[in-house]
Amino acid sequence: MMRNLSPFASLLSMAAVGVLALAGVAHAQGTIKIGMTSALTGPYNEFGEGNRRGVELAIEKWNKAGGINGQKIELAMLLDDQLVPDRAVQNMRRILDNKELVGIIGPAGSGPTLAVIDMAVADGRPYMNPTAQTPSIVYPQGTDKAPRKNVFSFALQNDVETNVLGTYVAKRFKKIGILHESTAYGTTAVGLIRKEIKKDANLEPVGVESYNQRAQDMTAQLAKLQRDGADVVVCVGLGADLAVIRRNMSRLNFAVPLIGTNGALSLPYQEGAGELVLGTKGTMVGSFGQEPMNAAAKEFADAYRAKYGTDRWWGNDPARPQVFLALSGANAYDAANVLFEGIRRAKSSDAQKIIQAIESIKSLQGVNAQYTFTAQRHHGIGEDGIGVFEYTKVGDKIRLGLSKD
Amino acid sequence: MDFALQLIFAGISVGAVYALIAVGLSLTFLVSRVINFGQGSLLMLTAMVMVALLGRGSAMLSAALGALGLAAILMVVVEWVAVRPVAAGQRTDTMGWVVSTLGIGILLQGFAAKFFGSQAVAFPSILFSSNDFVSLFGVRLSLQYLAVLALAVALVLLLELILRRTQWGRAVRAVAHDPELASLMAIPVRRTMLVCFVLSGLLAGVAGLLVAQIAGTVDPGFGFNLMVLGFVAAVVGGMGNTFGALAGGITLGVLEKLVGGYVSTAAEHGIAFAVLMAILAVRPQGLFGRSELLKA
Amino acid sequence: MLSRPWLALLAALAFGVAMSFGSGSALQVATFFLINVLLAHSVNLLTGYAGQISLGHAGFFGVGAYACALLTRDYGLPLPLALAAAMALASVVGYLLSFPAGRVKEFYLAMMTLGFGMIFYEVAKEWTALTGGMMGLSGVPSPSLRTLAVFGMAVGPVAYLWIVLAIVVVVTVLLHNLIRSHFGRAYCAVHVSELAAGSVGISEAATKRSAYTLSAALAGLAGGCYAPLVAYLGPDSFALSRSVEALAMTIIGGLGSLPGQVLGAALLTYLPERLQIFAEYQFMAYGAILAVFFLVLPKGLAGMFAAPPRFAKTHAVVSLEPTPIRVPHSSGEGPLLRVENITMNFAGLRALDEVSLQLERGRVLALVGPNGSGKSTLINVISGVYRPSAGRVVFKGEDIAGRKAHEVSRRGIIRTFQDPRNILHFTVRENVLLGAHRLYRHGFLGAVCNSRAALREEAVFLRRVDEMLDLGGLAELGDRVLGELPYGTQRLAEVARAAVSDPELILLDEPAAGLSDAELEKLAAMIRRLRERDLGIVLVEHHMDFLNDVVDGVVVLDSGKLIYRGDMDGMRRDPEVTAAYLGVADEESVRA
Repeated sequence: MMRNLSPFASLLSMAAVGVLALAGVAHAQGTIKIGMTSALTGPYNEFGEGNRRGVELAIEKWNKAGGINGQKIELAMLLDDQLVPDRAVQNMRRILDNKELVGIIGPAGSGPTLAVIDMAVADGRPYMNPTAQTPSIVYPQGTDKAPRKNVFSFALQNDVETNVLGTYVAKRFKKIGILHESTAYGTTAVGLIRKEIKKDANLEPVGVESYNQRAQDMTAQLAKLQRDGADVVVCVGLGADLAVIRRNMSRLNFAVPLIGTNGALSLPYQEGAGELVLGTKGTMVGSFGQEPMNAAAKEFADAYRAKYGTDRWWGNDPARPQVFLALSGANAYDAANVLFEGIRRAKSSDAQKIIQAIESIKSLQGVNAQYTFTAQRHHGIGEDGIGVFEYTKVGDKIRLGLSKD
Repeated sequence: MDFALQLIFAGISVGAVYALIAVGLSLTFLVSRVINFGQGSLLMLTAMVMVALLGRGSAMLSAALGALGLAAILMVVVEWVAVRPVAAGQRTDTMGWVVSTLGIGILLQGFAAKFFGSQAVAFPSILFSSNDFVSLFGVRLSLQYLAVLALAVALVLLLELILRRTQWGRAVRAVAHDPELASLMAIPVRRTMLVCFVLSGLLAGVAGLLVAQIAGTVDPGFGFNLMVLGFVAAVVGGMGNTFGALAGGITLGVLEKLVGGYVSTAAEHGIAFAVLMAILAVRPQGLFGRSELLKA
Repeated sequence: MLSRPWLALLAALAFGVAMSFGSGSALQVATFFLINVLLAHSVNLLTGYAGQISLGHAGFFGVGAYACALLTRDYGLPLPLALAAAMALASVVGYLLSFPAGRVKEFYLAMMTLGFGMIFYEVAKEWTALTGGMMGLSGVPSPSLRTLAVFGMAVGPVAYLWIVLAIVVVVTVLLHNLIRSHFGRAYCAVHVSELAAGSVGISEAATKRSAYTLSAALAGLAGGCYAPLVAYLGPDSFALSRSVEALAMTIIGGLGSLPGQVLGAALLTYLPERLQIFAEYQFMAYGAILAVFFLVLPKGLAGMFAAPPRFAKTHAVVSLEPTPIRVPHSSGEGPLLRVENITMNFAGLRALDEVSLQLERGRVLALVGPNGSGKSTLINVISGVYRPSAGRVVFKGEDIAGRKAHEVSRRGIIRTFQDPRNILHFTVRENVLLGAHRLYRHGFLGAVCNSRAALREEAVFLRRVDEMLDLGGLAELGDRVLGELPYGTQRLAEVARAAVSDPELILLDEPAAGLSDAELEKLAAMIRRLRERDLGIVLVEHHMDFLNDVVDGVVVLDSGKLIYRGDMDGMRRDPEVTAAYLGVADEESVRA
């Protein structure tokens, strides 16, 4: 027993910790290595796990075709950040420390992404943002200014989504009520929607209300919008919260159209709101809603079903994936494909050359868009790839398709 | 007027659920002096397990009972892992229960995320649908909310009755007052504690099911905020006071909605905690609690 | 052989050197770990020592982080000044929180601090102009981005690690000194027994305030160090989960142990990283480890790997030749103590009814009477635990009725309790030394820096403690933890504690109860020694043989009324006293 050990010995244990902390990682030679941090486990891993699958499917596709210029691709570092900013920062440092990695896939949410983005930019290696929708991740000075030099986004960027949404509602409604989640995503989106309806129809929203994610009652928010006479509720949030909102509207007999961001098209919303989804509209990447799907989308869908089956990411229809898979899997698949295409074109693992090669990509067919990048444009999904979807009833089945009007 | 009534009605219903959680939390706290940080996960897991059982083709009632049974069993585990080791060395409380109850909460969340997925899953409407309503004084009252309110209030009152009228209730109060004295009086302290934990788990489970059917979905992150609000309700009402918890929960719910409706919905989230601090600063024993005298 | 402090410092140095050659990731995680040590120290000070559970430390941490970030980024303040400002600001917040928090205990306190943390989080989220709201605050000068400079010198990750390491070492050393001073003992005393604390002159409110202020300052410092490390602050970094994690670190490490905080911080910093090998099960693995941790290690990491903390600077005795300090006894006019018509009502029950008595210096007065006759109540009134319903308590010419216990004690009235109230995890020596609390003159700075004056003072009181331990036959038990010793020892220790406080009036509430004959001898010796010092003693006792030996006069209470005043022999012959005693159980017979 260590009897009567002075509390100074507290510092002694640091030495032991030091030994613990210094452990090396060995790697196979001769492959092209990439690194990724994402929310792989825990209660917020929906997007992170989907992203991982997307990236792995892309790697399998390329390796099956012989790799990049003869070199196989390897996801050499796959770290779990559980959507916690501090953990994402630590993971990103480990990834950046590994000089063998030629490209990076970032975390699956705006919070952790904002926390790591400056580190990634200082490092300079190509960084693919699969999920985080906040435009400032790519364009810190504003979307009309230069992007961060090594950051490319495959997310449905807020400004793109809200432009479509704003234009759509500005044309059709006069008294617009907005309801948004109190996150980085929610607050930026609201600012952009306001700007858009002001520009298009010189309208101010009749009310703007916020809620915390996972709130189970929205009576106060909705009753206010109802009292303000809103003739439409525009919603920025997750599918599960939208289900709460839709049910709450029904309880308050607040019968106006609900138009949401992409969350409105997610499975949690469809299932949570049940029959009430009829008439709800939402903006979304069109890839899995088009008939027929584009070739890349079909290829991805087939590969996904072959490997993972028709699970919750896929959706309820065994024949085709839910449209939401575009943002919970296909986005990362596209991100990895574009990264690999950049490496292929650069014929080098040099960061600058890869970035330049990506910036030279024109009209590359991906699942979610035809990707075109330039030195000024670092986001992949533009407004042309976005559709407004609507739930309709066909027979006794609810169907989700592109809105007719 | 409609507007205000709508808010108050929603606040009362939501508050009744807070009270249900609060009563469960304070029941275990009273007999063990342990705050169960895993209670939120228990709410979540009960609802998720029920969905899973329904998915396997169980009938509504048996699925609900099965899920509640699991909640009860889990609370036995909580008692075993978090409370028994503490009780062994009460004199030098290491507060290990903070870590162990927290750990159980995380474990359950991780379990749910791994085996049920972290996406929100649909929760069926058990009692009525969100379209059903009755009109009272021209105000549209949701039957779902009314059912939640009625059930929550009934459960809280039933518990109060049990605590006051039964032998077991007296045992609980004796253990809460002084476990050593209680054991001298031949009260089975351990078993009383265990029953309190099981009851607390059942109350949490019922609360989980009720909220999930209002929200329509449940996911592994569900429950944590509710637990925190349950804490607040328990404290506002005065720990260990069943009626207090009911009053505290309803006060909190109504206040939240009124602040959301008349001040700002952004402030709705902060208000509960501002109220909490104000009440504790003015009345440290809660609105309806009796002050614990300093033992000389 | 190097002494332990040097060994520890060497270990810290070795840690710094090892990390300096590590990868950027090892450096960064090491810095996270050091910041967590600061945060754990902060929680430990408040929760481990002062016993005030906190679920809101993320708030203090956040105040420090935002303050440091904004001051360095927007106002170009050098890092040291920004850190100082972060500490100052957080400590102000902690000080303010201590007022409402001081009113509540246990669960209520946990909830109030939780409320504070949640309000901070909501404010950080909604006050967009200051904090950047949910979008957060980017561009904080940072070592990892090579944007941090201190006084014109660029600070990279290695230099930053050394800066934080230096801070941690300094803070640990200062805390080590603080805990072993009368300030540290006061924290423990208000935690374990507020009554005992008051009886030796410790103000509960002031002690709690200082614990909050200091703890918040440390958390603010940790937050200040955190901001440059991560370069970006978002409200999610200051949510409830951080508060809970900080508390978990402290508890896992071991409440009240400084090395434990280092271990706890290490575990919770490195564990998630190491758990990556569990892949899809790592979240569950983390939960499972926490869940069973205390089943496996019931005393936390410190209980396993470190010695229990100590609370006195016992090395001061050997290093310095003490010069005695004496507290001058002002010799006031008239009797030392005059109790005038004291009445005490409890919810309709009259515990004391117009009781009057007086006591001269150098006299021992016995207070006897059957159970429930109001003896302890009278002691509680005199010592400030109760405020009397009516009447005056005049001590040295001043009416002290209704004063708080610690105020009474500081005037020189020291008491013991019917069931001894000691700090059970203190050694006998530390418990007795606690009695000297009111006599300490050196301040906070002296205590944390171990100034010569502080050490000398500590040495003087330790010497006095040793004398008293000798007298009480406790000399050999001085270094034993009191909680492990028999009841009689605990009683004697409490009397010794009262004796070293240099009282002018000492109130002993049944000191002989449960003592063996040998122990009674020691008790009598201590009481006689006290009487030599020309002070007044009030002795509540049933043990008549014992009283015979030591008292000068006796006062008998019955049902709250004074029924006899005089000498012992007169009492035995007094019919009213006999009647009072015969009316109750045999074991309390006056002839016992």
